[in-house]
Amino acid sequence: MKISQDAALGSFFVAVGAVGLLVARDYPFGTANRMGPGYFPLIISSLLVLTGVAILMRARFGSAEAIAGIRWKPLAIVSCAVFLFGALVEKLGLPLAVLLLVVGAATASVKFRLDWKATAGAAAFSVVCAVAFVDLLGVPMPLAGSWLHAVGF
Amino acid sequence: MDIFDGLMLGLSTATAFSNFVYCFLGVLLGTAVGVLPGLGPVATISMLLPFTFGLPVDTALIMLAGIFYGTQYGGSTTAILMNLPGEASSVVTTLDGHEMAKQGKAGRALAAAAIGSFFAGTVGTLFIAIAAPLLAGLALTFGPAEYFSLIVLGLVTSMVLTSGSLLTAFGMALLGVLLGMVGTDINSGAARYTFGTPNLLDGLNFVVVATGVFGLGDVLVNLENERSRMASIAPVSSLFPTREDWRRMVGPILRGTGIGVVLGVLPGAGVLLASFSAYAMEKKVSRHPEEFGKGAIEGVAAPESANNAAAQTCFIPMLTLGLPGTATMALMIGALVVQGVQPGPEILSQQPSLFWGLVVSMWIGNVMLLFLNLPLVGMWAKLISVPYHFLFPMICVFMAIGVYSINNSVFDVELMVLFGLLGYFFRKVGAEPAPLILALILGPMAEEYLRRTLLLSHGDATVFFTSPVSLGTLIVAALLLLSIVSPAFRRVREEGLQEAE
Repeated sequence: MKISQDAALGSFFVAVGAVGLLVARDYPFGTANRMGPGYFPLIISSLLVLTGVAILMRARFGSAEAIAGIRWKPLAIVSCAVFLFGALVEKLGLPLAVLLLVVGAATASVKFRLDWKATAGAAAFSVVCAVAFVDLLGVPMPLAGSWLHAVGF
Repeated sequence: MDIFDGLMLGLSTATAFSNFVYCFLGVLLGTAVGVLPGLGPVATISMLLPFTFGLPVDTALIMLAGIFYGTQYGGSTTAILMNLPGEASSVVTTLDGHEMAKQGKAGRALAAAAIGSFFAGTVGTLFIAIAAPLLAGLALTFGPAEYFSLIVLGLVTSMVLTSGSLLTAFGMALLGVLLGMVGTDINSGAARYTFGTPNLLDGLNFVVVATGVFGLGDVLVNLENERSRMASIAPVSSLFPTREDWRRMVGPILRGTGIGVVLGVLPGAGVLLASFSAYAMEKKVSRHPEEFGKGAIEGVAAPESANNAAAQTCFIPMLTLGLPGTATMALMIGALVVQGVQPGPEILSQQPSLFWGLVVSMWIGNVMLLFLNLPLVGMWAKLISVPYHFLFPMICVFMAIGVYSINNSVFDVELMVLFGLLGYFFRKVGAEPAPLILALILGPMAEEYLRRTLLLSHGDATVFFTSPVSLGTLIVAALLLLSIVSPAFRRVREEGLQEAE
């Protein structure tokens, strides 16, 4: 079954707006001349739900374009690679985390091949990053992370 | 301080060694980013923003500005040589520019684009020097009601001018406002939408969202179309326009500059609209409209002048009102705020060297760009041929390190991944993210100004219509919304924005 663009976006808006409304119920609303923290969120969330519903109606009754085929593989690989970088940078240190991210993300490409030239390039790039960001720009990231310290580095 | 003193002060600031070097670095990077398809100025600036936190504020702004207008130059190179827009604003340049390249006139098209851009950049810079102090003087009299109306106008313009339906754009803007409310409410101190995590108490960092949606989102989309990316680069011949070229170029450059200067100032309009309007106008006034699309030099000179003029003048609302007209300008505001400078009408009197230094550096940057782009075009052509599968892993690294270093926070990196996936989703469902990004910055401002207005007027909303400036602004916003209903404008919008796809 094909889901149309409008159906997906409309449902998304309705869902986010509904969460916004539910959460904002607990904030004091206030009055127009002394707005509480809940005033704006309630109005905006309601409008978002209404807009979402309108888009859903358009999907139902109008001509809606279907979402073009999604290639899940690169999507999953690249997001995971960046996510892992975040999770591991303090544990492994910057150079290793960069190497993992570069090689990991690269596998998402249809042109990816494991050859020694590209691997050497990735390794060199990690070293350059470590020198440029940590030594020159002073970004407070460890060069060798806590896991490496634990095993005696 | 009059303009002359200002320019003198600016000259001494902009020619200080470190500023000069960073200006050069900025335009160099900007050209590279502009040349590379699939990497835009918003993504680049948000990636590099955290690394400028250690620089003095004027140096940081000069460099970031250089990246932005540098991309306007670089974008045309890819458009002409490869028939791929390096930047969204050079989409129309591909129509005639690449056609000229196919006829062996690539060098002359590049020259027309660079010369037009340079002239427009010069005029745009002069316009800032003259208009910004005037507008800042006027803005000092603005109260919260006027600011609120201006924000509404900015949001409406950005909605009207994005491709896709108005309803979708409206939803995206609302979503942006909602996301902008995450964090501690400045008035009551209440934590809103933080879902119990202390990481969200300071709100969603704008740079994290922009890097995710534009940077990572673009990477994810580009990987999907990887197979269809082709690279055939037209050879560059003589760079000297003929006498005939000059004759045909002068008018379009002048008109394009005029359009760009005006549209750049309009909040929410930005460079994209400027280049489209300039192209459409040339086609209309030309005595040979049939030549357009078949290699008319007018079709290169006019939009390239317009987008560069707009790239300069869109700094005006940002600097004088503190209101960003485009996502890029929102990032610039972010850069300034981190450094403890609040952009607004006081910036001219309180930070004169920052303002004038930026203005003069823009002109210097334009001179550098003229030399970087014309004689060195061969080098940039080589850069285009760097394959994407080498490029995107490095982009990922820069994004991840950049986002991490804003707050040394792993949470931010993971948030960026989330927004990257969202950015991908938005593109898949045909929703343009520009209104969301703008609303993310403008939303909290709107709430604050609305609160203040209604507090001052004791809950009376008619103040928005009794102040002439506010009323005028709202009328313009309403007209823009109405215009979209008019079939004639609708057709123009659809045609123009479709070409941007």
